[in-house]
Amino acid sequence: MTKLFTNIKNYLIDLGKLDRRYIFLLIGLSVLIPLMKPNWINIPIKTTNNSQIVFNELNKLNEGDRVLVSFEYGASTKPEIHPMSVAVLQHLFSKGVKVYTVPLWPEGLMMAKYAIQEVVDSKLFNIKEHVDYVSLPYKAGGEIIIRGIATDLRSIFTQDVNNILLKEIPMMKGVNRVSDFDFVFDLSAGVPGNAEWVQFACDEYKVPLSSGCTSIMVTDAIPYVESGQIRGILAGMPGAAEYEQMVFKYLNSLDKNKYMNPDIAVVPGKATSRMSAQSIAHVLMVVFIILGNISYYLLRRRAE
Amino acid sequence: MYELIGVWCVVLLTLSIFSYLYGDNPFYKAAEHIFVGVSAGYVFTITFWDTIWPNLFGRLFPKYVGAGFSFDITYIFPLILGVFMLFRLSKKYDWLSRISIAYIVGMMAGLKFYVFLNSNLLTQIKSSTVNLSGTYFSIFNDLIILVGVISGLVYFFFSKEHTGALGKISRIGVYFLMIKFGASFGFAVMGRISLLIGRFEELIEFSKPEYYYSTPVTLLIMIMIIGYWAYKDNTKPLEK
Repeated sequence: MTKLFTNIKNYLIDLGKLDRRYIFLLIGLSVLIPLMKPNWINIPIKTTNNSQIVFNELNKLNEGDRVLVSFEYGASTKPEIHPMSVAVLQHLFSKGVKVYTVPLWPEGLMMAKYAIQEVVDSKLFNIKEHVDYVSLPYKAGGEIIIRGIATDLRSIFTQDVNNILLKEIPMMKGVNRVSDFDFVFDLSAGVPGNAEWVQFACDEYKVPLSSGCTSIMVTDAIPYVESGQIRGILAGMPGAAEYEQMVFKYLNSLDKNKYMNPDIAVVPGKATSRMSAQSIAHVLMVVFIILGNISYYLLRRRAE
Repeated sequence: MYELIGVWCVVLLTLSIFSYLYGDNPFYKAAEHIFVGVSAGYVFTITFWDTIWPNLFGRLFPKYVGAGFSFDITYIFPLILGVFMLFRLSKKYDWLSRISIAYIVGMMAGLKFYVFLNSNLLTQIKSSTVNLSGTYFSIFNDLIILVGVISGLVYFFFSKEHTGALGKISRIGVYFLMIKFGASFGFAVMGRISLLIGRFEELIEFSKPEYYYSTPVTLLIMIMIIGYWAYKDNTKPLEK
């Protein structure tokens, strides 16, 4: 028996010296297999309170309300943020809300274009550019641009992304500063991001703000959520999956919506299908952390 | 056709970056340099044509640029400050760039001071108070936040040695900080796995016949080249 325990102990100590490439391989497989065989594992998604708050806040908006959607992410964070961008746009268009997109990251310009294009190509909504949405171009400056939008949007933007003068776009009439919007939704992966929108615009001008952000930003954004400065938050891929599911159920529950095309079926978003891979990888990470700690503890005891 | 070329480039660059897991190699190096070059080029181009050209030159030469702005001579100052910034490249006149940097630092410090005071300090102090009119659960939550804020602040108070009561409060602050770091680490892992999922999804998608089996073909070619390269260079093992 003692020999068995010693063998297990030695095995666990040796496990701590495992070549990290085996860990990479296992993590890779734990992500790859659920993605290739999605039917094998189906883990249910439970809606968290913060995602529900975001949904409720956007659901309160009325036809014709103006929402500024800020794109602050790029190709590297697209898997986390993009599904929530599409879900948020679907939710807004289903309510007849006027959407104004603004990229504050260079790549945000492309992400905004892709998100809008995805919604337009789905043909689910009867939407037209300059009638239901306007895409503003990228401007360098980060928080200075946010401040500019807060005080005088026209001093920074005179044209949309297609070089059409804003004064010639009917839905831009009466839109001069952040307080002319009924809501701001921020999709961020860093700086400038939701903290800058709180500090430089929404707090001072009392405009409601919600955010969807990368997982890594959540712990820094939570104090703003707790204080009500940000109304709910979509936290990374799980947040995106939860929001997708809520929007999916909501769109399917609508009976005769004049903004939606009845001949097109609502399809669930991409984040939902990714959550099994995410969960399996996390379980594996937890196992590695526990084994690593046991190995380290045993090694330290042996050294003593 | 162009889409297909794009797909093969995506697969090649993704697998080149992943090849670093095996060890440093020419594929990884090439992908890294392409990424840095393309990013710098993209940011420069988009910043010039979307911001400097319409917002600066559009005000100095409104008829020529046609961005919808009217003539404003005061924009000569940002132009001069911008040119000064380029003198960083000159050893003789690099002092001029300090004027531009001083302007940016001063302006941002002033702006940040106000917004930080308003949004981060005053509002956060207000939200750290205990609302006694709430439910038992919310009061309990508020108390945890209050204890966490105070003990966390005490931990960063260095004017007195952390002994006695101060040491105990500071210790509680450490526990709160450790919970915060643990949560941050968990979220960081989640974020990184999400990125991996995004890459894998595209690699799986591009394995299909309509893309001429881009992923398996590229992977096979890369393995053969890296294998041959490692074999030829076997006296110098790959850096792990």
